[in-house]
Amino acid sequence: MYSGRRLKEALFTVTIITLSVAAIAPVLHIVYTVLVNGVSVIVKAGLRFFTDLPPTPGSAEVGGIAPAIAGTILITAIAFPLSVVLGLFSAILTTEFPKNPLSLLVDTIARSLASVPTIAISMVIYTVIVVPMRSFSALASALALTIVALPYTYTYFSAALRSVPAMYREAAFSLGMSRWDTVTRVLIPISRRIIAAGALTTLARIMGETAALLFTAGRFRGGVAISLTAPVDAIPLLIFDYILSPYEIWHEVAWGASALLLLSYLAIFMSVKLMVKEVKL
Amino acid sequence: MRLSKKDKLFLLSLLPLATSVLALLILIIFAILLRSLQAINKFGLELLVSSVWSPEQEIYGVLAPLIGSLATSVIATLTALILSIPLAIAASEYLKGFIKNVFSSLIELAGGMPTIIYAVWASEYLVPFLKTYVMEPLHRLLPFIPLFSCKPITGFSIFAAGVAIGISVVPYVTALILESYNSIPAMYKEACYGIGAYRHEAVSILLSLSRPAIVASLLLGFARALGETTIAVTTVGSSMYLSSCLFAPGYTVAALIATQFANANLYMYAESVLYTAALIVTVIATILSFYGSVIMVRWRSRIVV
Repeated sequence: MYSGRRLKEALFTVTIITLSVAAIAPVLHIVYTVLVNGVSVIVKAGLRFFTDLPPTPGSAEVGGIAPAIAGTILITAIAFPLSVVLGLFSAILTTEFPKNPLSLLVDTIARSLASVPTIAISMVIYTVIVVPMRSFSALASALALTIVALPYTYTYFSAALRSVPAMYREAAFSLGMSRWDTVTRVLIPISRRIIAAGALTTLARIMGETAALLFTAGRFRGGVAISLTAPVDAIPLLIFDYILSPYEIWHEVAWGASALLLLSYLAIFMSVKLMVKEVKL
Repeated sequence: MRLSKKDKLFLLSLLPLATSVLALLILIIFAILLRSLQAINKFGLELLVSSVWSPEQEIYGVLAPLIGSLATSVIATLTALILSIPLAIAASEYLKGFIKNVFSSLIELAGGMPTIIYAVWASEYLVPFLKTYVMEPLHRLLPFIPLFSCKPITGFSIFAAGVAIGISVVPYVTALILESYNSIPAMYKEACYGIGAYRHEAVSILLSLSRPAIVASLLLGFARALGETTIAVTTVGSSMYLSSCLFAPGYTVAALIATQFANANLYMYAESVLYTAALIVTVIATILSFYGSVIMVRWRSRIVV
């Protein structure tokens, strides 16, 4: 009987280790293949990968993804502050006035927005913004991304504000500080690292989101567009289109762009890791 | 709670932002509902029982994508189930120190990775791999089972999409399971080892304690898999043909929308039909994730004293 139990124990350990390795292997393989395939493309194209236009299907040169890079930066520059501000203030509202019916409503909404498929958000923004404005635009894309990111910023920030022990709040109140002062001078400074980490994680999500841009950005690849109301391109969108295309040269560009996206994501991930021990996703 | 004048001002200053969050959700719900009404009125239930996409003749049926969405999500959830539980056990029971840190960092890294990167990798590496090492052997060994009855031709199929989406959902489900597994009070584990349990016995007791939380995590994972778009488009094969075989190309609702919505405004009802499909998926996903969070909260209040 004892040896039976021991055998079971050994079998169990082997199963757990094998399946864990099987679960972790794809991650390592993804990072490896994307970097190997992508970096070689970027090296081949050189600096022009960041400054040139994408190649035509028949072209022999890789060219660059300048419109996509500029578009991603532009869209992120609008969507990121918007979602941080909306998320932070919603989080302050629900943590400071938890009994208020409006807080309950905002809490429920901000959480349930996370379960709306991002492609549905893209459709709605298309109907509500793109069609009336008669053009795809950076603005529409940024708005879609803000909605996609809002549940995340909200969850991170309210968790951060709640992580501050109650005694700090009580100490602030006993000094006669108002709620506004308590939040801005005590709670936010104490939890600033967690808040910054949450903001950065959202930044990574905004940068890499594809589906929300499908019907909002407009895939303008003929040049670098710096206008809020003109169609733009984005790195994830370019990867999506090019990897589905039948052309070899576009696949190469897609790999290069994927490597660039992955490297930016890794950089953000590392800085979040330096700020807090555990990243919640 | 009595508020001072200054606090009231503070609350009032937060209201515009709060109402804009509210407005966003109302906007989304109304837009989806209003736009889908047209198709629901015109086609009714016919939309749900046939699988045709021919805008030129104004005949639509989204049965195949709906079933495809559900099937890929079931496969994705099964993949996540098989891989997440061992991953969570390994991270909390078997690994220590530096290796554990690296291991959990990798899970976190995978959880936040842009899905487009999964999509690129899946379409170039995972699909051929699954075709040669999983689909073809299964078809050769068990051709009499309807699910495996067709020969995988390109590999791009419901099965491949399910596994690919599953791999992308694993870190999310693992994080949820790990969080609840670690929140079980230490006394249960101590009690197990106290009566001389082996590790696998202690783990199985702890797992059975956290079963509701695991079910909730899988529901949340299922909801996330339903809405996954990029991975589905690149791996599912895009075919409106409804087949009982998992190795045949299919469609998911998200993939159908991603490929058809851009041209849908050329036709009378196409856009509205796609909105109806999106409505169905959104409703299912919202209900599942709501139900999942309810189970999770209830379990936590019971087990964590």
